[in-house]
Amino acid sequence: MISERRGRATVQLRRLSDGTVSPLPQLGRHQPHSSPSLSWNARYLAVITQRGGRRLAVVADRLNGRMHPLPLPSGRAPIRLSLAPDAQQLALQVTDQGQWRDELLDLSSMLEPDRPPGQALSTPAVGADP
Amino acid sequence: MSRVVLILSIVLLVGCSPDRPTPRSDLNGLLRQSVSSRRDPSLGSRWLASLGQRNGRERVELVDLQRRTPVPLPGLNRSDAQPISVSVSADGERLAVVQQRDDRTELLLYRRSVGAVQRLPLEPPGVPRSVSLDGQGKRLAVQVSRNGRWDVDLIRLP
Repeated sequence: MISERRGRATVQLRRLSDGTVSPLPQLGRHQPHSSPSLSWNARYLAVITQRGGRRLAVVADRLNGRMHPLPLPSGRAPIRLSLAPDAQQLALQVTDQGQWRDELLDLSSMLEPDRPPGQALSTPAVGADP
Repeated sequence: MSRVVLILSIVLLVGCSPDRPTPRSDLNGLLRQSVSSRRDPSLGSRWLASLGQRNGRERVELVDLQRRTPVPLPGLNRSDAQPISVSVSADGERLAVVQQRDDRTELLLYRRSVGAVQRLPLEPPGVPRSVSLDGQGKRLAVQVSRNGRWDVDLIRLP
């Protein structure tokens, strides 16, 4: 969710089981943040940030600490976003010629899938019996 | 020698360049068809819920991204209601909607398999603004205006 921190809209990730706030060091800057969206297991957090006076959608990978900026063609600015539960697609609301549009981006070449809880992996673990 | 270094550099640069997001051109074309605008996207595993405007009126719409077809939502869109926010569960079965109707703003849960709309009361009362379902469709986070401030309510769903 988004909360005010030092007067700036900042994304905050709270664990529902115990209420603890998880650190998001990759997202400590580039406020204001808006429109946060999580994958199944909260490995990935997509959010709209602001850099150099322009809005930029990013995906933070909480497993390895990497940030994936998602610049849009033609300098269009994201307004809202939604990350697919497995993080293989992202939907973005943008403004195009004065109208709102929703656009889909395929992230499968960038991000490993975040599978639903309890779903078996499709490949056997290393060292597993055939 | 310098040519070899140059070729190696190009190969290394290409090999190290980060993968980039790819626009889903086929689906983006479908999403533009027959609506004058579309906003508030919410992605499930193979579903996109959004608010599409046709003939000056906004409606909740659901698209099956695998079959590339709109999905009917009987009983959800009313002529006397204005949707404000929508969210879909991962399996596309449940949609949470904030809508304005008769000068009041209400929170709804729609179950697609039975075509049923259920009004979800807020306790204490407040004005819902934005809604987000978890992937399993069992928990709902809703942004609520109360006494001049924003709250986030969590609602467990049966």
